[in-house]
Amino acid sequence: MKIASAADLETARQAGLQKLQPGKPQIAVGLATCGIAVGGNKVYERLREIIERDKLDIILTKTGCIGYCKEEPLVNITIPGKPLVILHKVTEADAEEILKQAGKGKVPEKKALCRIPSWDHVTGCKIEYGKGFIRIPLYEKVPFFEGQQKVILRDAGLINSEDIDEYIAVGGYAAAMKALTGMDSETIIKEVEKSGLRGRGGAGFPTGLKWRITRDTKADKKYIICNADEGDPGAYMNRNEMESDPHMLIEGMIIGAYAMGASEGLIYIRAEYPLAIKRLKLAIGQAREYGLLGNDILGTGFSFDIRIATGAGAFVCGESTALVASIEGRTGRPHPRPPRLTDIGGGLYGYPTDLNNVETWCNVPVIIMNGSAWYARIGAKGNTGTKVFSLVGKVDRVGLVEVPLGTTLRTIVSDIGNGGANNKKVKAVQTGGPSGGCIPFRLFDTPVDFENLNKAGSIMGSGGIVVMDEDTDMVDIARYFINFATGESCGKCVPCREGLKHALLLLNRILAKKGTQKDIETLALLSDTIVATSLCGLGQTAPNPVLTTLAYFREEYDALVKP
Amino acid sequence: MTPGEADSTGVPVKQVTVTINGKKYPADEGEILLGVAVRNNIAIPHLCYEPSLDPYGACRLCMVGVVKHGKQEMTTSCTLRAAEGLEVVTDTPEITKHRSILFELYLAEAPKSEVIKEMAARYGVTKTRFLKKFDTTDSLGNKCVLCGLCVRACNEIMGAGAIGFINRGPYTVVNTPYFEPTKDCYGCGACVKVCPTNAVEMEDAGDTRVMKSWSTTKVPLVQCSGCKEYYAPKGLAIATLARINPSLKEEIAVLCPACRGKRIAREEILAGSGGAGNHG
Repeated sequence: MKIASAADLETARQAGLQKLQPGKPQIAVGLATCGIAVGGNKVYERLREIIERDKLDIILTKTGCIGYCKEEPLVNITIPGKPLVILHKVTEADAEEILKQAGKGKVPEKKALCRIPSWDHVTGCKIEYGKGFIRIPLYEKVPFFEGQQKVILRDAGLINSEDIDEYIAVGGYAAAMKALTGMDSETIIKEVEKSGLRGRGGAGFPTGLKWRITRDTKADKKYIICNADEGDPGAYMNRNEMESDPHMLIEGMIIGAYAMGASEGLIYIRAEYPLAIKRLKLAIGQAREYGLLGNDILGTGFSFDIRIATGAGAFVCGESTALVASIEGRTGRPHPRPPRLTDIGGGLYGYPTDLNNVETWCNVPVIIMNGSAWYARIGAKGNTGTKVFSLVGKVDRVGLVEVPLGTTLRTIVSDIGNGGANNKKVKAVQTGGPSGGCIPFRLFDTPVDFENLNKAGSIMGSGGIVVMDEDTDMVDIARYFINFATGESCGKCVPCREGLKHALLLLNRILAKKGTQKDIETLALLSDTIVATSLCGLGQTAPNPVLTTLAYFREEYDALVKP
Repeated sequence: MTPGEADSTGVPVKQVTVTINGKKYPADEGEILLGVAVRNNIAIPHLCYEPSLDPYGACRLCMVGVVKHGKQEMTTSCTLRAAEGLEVVTDTPEITKHRSILFELYLAEAPKSEVIKEMAARYGVTKTRFLKKFDTTDSLGNKCVLCGLCVRACNEIMGAGAIGFINRGPYTVVNTPYFEPTKDCYGCGACVKVCPTNAVEMEDAGDTRVMKSWSTTKVPLVQCSGCKEYYAPKGLAIATLARINPSLKEEIAVLCPACRGKRIAREEILAGSGGAGNHG
């Protein structure tokens, strides 16, 4: 079926709603990589076996991940007329009981994490599930979810990400329809500019401006690329966004391509994300079938298609020029800018190219659908919208957290994350992955936005927050990240290749208690030079873990060396 | 290309004035600033710059401060392009500080390179605080600084691609694929010529040129039928002769350039024409 009108989209929407609320009990197992890793597949198989064995009139399906990693595997039960109930820490052994209860229109309440009577999918679509199960806590009363605001993750863990109909059911592709049939390039770019959206890959460059520059560069052909090379240790926001809601990304790219006049899009994704790749391929295929990709999209005459380029998982390939080199089949090594990707001769195969992070693209449909004014009200001035963070490390509640920009670290770590795991005291967090820095507990009132994190010596990065507790050795943390960056350096420029190697050697010496105060001084000087003289962002930010631990935890260094 | 000359499209290049350390210099618009400095004998240390190759920006030694709104921003002069009003300063305290650390890193990376030692000493760095590399198996004799000039010359100028970077980060080395002798090497020696630290070695032994640094790749040489000297790599000689149109006469083609000149001169004299003969 090709969707060529609003009426066609509505037909697909109705079909999707039927799948979302089929009028009989439905069980959906959270099967993103995280859910699978803790046994979600086994739960799914066991449920399937029993349903077949007993010929139960219960529908079994899959969903993505709602982000509460600590409680996985998660299983959703929808009983007609009743709230959607999320069960947590489900094992194969629970399958019989779940199905028995579901058959009777009930849920195993002891296993229940929360109930959702109705859910706002933000893009103008609210799903009413029903009333009842009042002994189960409401979703918004669960401390982990309480402080969150789901905009990007609005569908994650609630729809089947392998079914385009369910995405359309919750308002999907309505933004593409709105943009392609009722807005011109200038209007869309103005909307994105006015929304204040900034690049979610870490640098925070205004997205609308980047789009404008790309559009205004004159060329026969233009590309848009999605950077899905998420490589920070402990960061997996993009993976979940793609696994749990791949169509949101595709829709964002369609709108962007239309606004910038690009006919081809690529998603550059690391090969270590096989499930995300599989689901994206599936989603792209479905979108083509529905006429949302390919020639004459939505009957508007606009043509655009997306293909997937896989990378071998080199951290440096997240850098724009190295990423393009990698797609072209060359070694992933950055080159000096200019030329920038948006310049003629600088982008993919020499054509002007717009590169945005997964989450940046994911923000587009909601901006178009709800308007820039709505979007700009979320978050802080100059830092609008929400941001998804992966809250990991020695924190009690591990998971994906989506909050408005400008939320303090304290809210994220202490309230949503409930502080240290096993009642330990939190000492610091590392934001921004290996390019970021460690922020001590005493600075936890820092609002998480691009500028304030920079002021604290760290960066936003793509959104990893690694929590360290009182037992964490901060010098060892610095060594861990420098070791990572050393291994991921492409080896082109001297400060990064040689400088990081020697920083690692110095840290090893200090940690082996063979260092001196002089070694600490050398380490500090060397770090400054690496920051100041490296060719690309990897080297320029790699010493941040050393510089911040030296600034905030100098006593830990001093304790390791002879006076 | 000297200033004011037309480029390959025949359009005259716009002239601009750039300021280096307070003095004004003429330059072509878009010209690499390091090139302007080199032409005017302004000392800016550099290792990976070669005018015939694209800007690369890897050695980081040619840092200059770009003066803008009273502030200085550090950048590499080999990637900086001349524009009207561009003002840079060299050797600021900030540049000197970072460059000294970079020289220390170079002294540790290429401890056997006399070129590096001399260059560092010119900028007052004679010792390194960092652990010196010592690798007895290094085919480049602990002299390579991975500036990439050999790889780029081989690939971009010669179109051979016989050598490349292997591994990445601090494990990066330059050599032939799989450290095996390669048929892709012409034996032209461009790599030896461009190497700023004299790390790349080759040796002619009788009828063979041995690329000592590149997995002892052996390239046959061609012998002059006149003086019997081996004068050029065989493959390169054949390829070069094939490009001459009209082609050389057989008895001239088998001679080395020196003998060729003598032969032609003798023929001219014997012919007594006193003018240019036809040797095609």
